[in-house]
Amino acid sequence: MAGIIKVEHLAKTFGTNEVLKDIDFSVSSGDVISIIGSSGSGKSTLLRCINLLEEATSGKILFHDKDVLAGAINEDEYRTKVGMVFQSFNLFNNLSVLDNCMIGQVKVLKRGKEEAEKNAMEYLAKVGMAQYIKAKPRQLSGGQKQRVAIARALAMNPEVLLFDEPTSALDPEMVGEVLDVMKILAESGMTMLVVTHEMAFARDVSNRVIYMADGRIEEEGSPEDIFSNPRSPKTKEFLSRFRGEKE
Amino acid sequence: MTISEMNFFQRMLYILQDYGGSLLAGAATTMAIALICTFLGCVIGFAVGLIQTTEPHKKDGAVKRGVLRVVKLILTAYVEVFRGTPMMLQAAFIYYGMSSVFGINLGMWSAAIIIVSVNTGAYMAETVRGGILSVDPGQREGARAIGMSHMQTMVYIVLPQALRNIMPQIGNNLIINIKDTCVLSIIGTVELFFTFRSISGALYTYFEAASVTMIIYFILTFTCSRILRAIESRMDGPANFDLATNDTLAFTSGLTKYNDKTGGMH
Ligand SMILES: Nc1ncnc2c1ncn2[C@@H]1O[C@H](COP(=O)(O)OP(=O)(O)OP(=O)(O)O)[C@@H](O)[C@H]1O
Ligand SMILES: [Mg+2]
Repeated sequence: MAGIIKVEHLAKTFGTNEVLKDIDFSVSSGDVISIIGSSGSGKSTLLRCINLLEEATSGKILFHDKDVLAGAINEDEYRTKVGMVFQSFNLFNNLSVLDNCMIGQVKVLKRGKEEAEKNAMEYLAKVGMAQYIKAKPRQLSGGQKQRVAIARALAMNPEVLLFDEPTSALDPEMVGEVLDVMKILAESGMTMLVVTHEMAFARDVSNRVIYMADGRIEEEGSPEDIFSNPRSPKTKEFLSRFRGEKE
Repeated sequence: MTISEMNFFQRMLYILQDYGGSLLAGAATTMAIALICTFLGCVIGFAVGLIQTTEPHKKDGAVKRGVLRVVKLILTAYVEVFRGTPMMLQAAFIYYGMSSVFGINLGMWSAAIIIVSVNTGAYMAETVRGGILSVDPGQREGARAIGMSHMQTMVYIVLPQALRNIMPQIGNNLIINIKDTCVLSIIGTVELFFTFRSISGALYTYFEAASVTMIIYFILTFTCSRILRAIESRMDGPANFDLATNDTLAFTSGLTKYNDKTGGMH
């Protein structure tokens, strides 16, 4: 499988706080990678560095072998190819659902209005929100907002989609509808990098799991490896604590 | 019947009959200056507020950072000076200063418009800065994440929301401007207050002239505040939205219908 993103020795410090240390991993086409780990382990920071919302302190991010941090690819163009779905949705409050899904296509990708609308409608239908095109974000429930946010990201036709705890801000009864959409995406071959606390999703949907602790990748492997025979004691402790919390 | 024999209402009527035309002209001048200057003040305010909230890009060199700092400093000075001194003195300062120091004779209109716009701009700059900062940073991140440039993010996402947030203050400024154009009478602008002074000077009926003029001012400000409210609720759009039908024909022709099983607010 073709490599899309390669992260090499990535580090990030806030002041004197080393949040990410020597992160190394790669994302290939069709990968669905779950990133798990306790709060404060640096998962969000890692995604934000990959999407250039934070500037990495050192290390490399290679996108199709192009050095992103060295400016080998235009920052905005890179972002159109690496979509992001946020915990807090971040839908544009001043725009309708349809316009949320069109504005990037029209203004950034310079697509025609008709093409953009057709494309937006296709993805809105996919996430089950085609009926809501006229609504403003404030008129939607959390689960609906997140599904629109996913459609907005998909409408840009990115190569990779980053998810930062897409269900953490949702009421329990809405978590399922968003996870279902993500499952369908994963099955359709979308390349995804998902920070999540939903262990069932990590175990059943992803093909690789990364466990982070204290800013490092503590363990990486297939879901069976991580959930059935974790090698690191830290991973074991995290998973058992997690099971304890859940049951 | 002479003026001195009339009662209060007869005098007001007399003023309206004899000076209705000049009062109307004065009111029109006042409204024109207030509207034009509030608009120009907003343009200035948005430009200044936008620059004030611009952070230098990580990769910007020392020169660019330096220029930005100097520009911000000058703009801060502008805002503080114009907010910190009376507009009446600013009017005298600019109007008479221009003619005596530079030999430039600003016409009545251009002097009035420059003074009130620049003054409004100083207030609006702070308002716009606050309005921009009040927009959730997540909005900016959402826009950046789909590849929008800083400029696009501001123009399509942040500023429209900032504008909505500060609409009440824009309305406030318009109403203040309607009333405060009266200070322009110091440079001879024939607006509503100037008209009041002419009438009361000619007829010696201060009380009645003041009453009539106050009523006119109030009608102007009250109408404007109602219109602005209406604009605000228009900007908010309808409280409910219609669900689009699944009928593709209806969709392409822009037809939608309300589905009362699932529709409405959530
Ligand atoms: N902008 C910032 N400035 C300073 N420190 C920050 C900043 N953002 C994050 N941090 C710190 O970096 C560390 C990692 O934060 P991060 O949000 O990446 O953790 P996380 O793994 O996503 O946690 P959670 O599961 O709670 O979302 C934390 O200690 C946090 O305080
Ligand atoms: Mg996080």
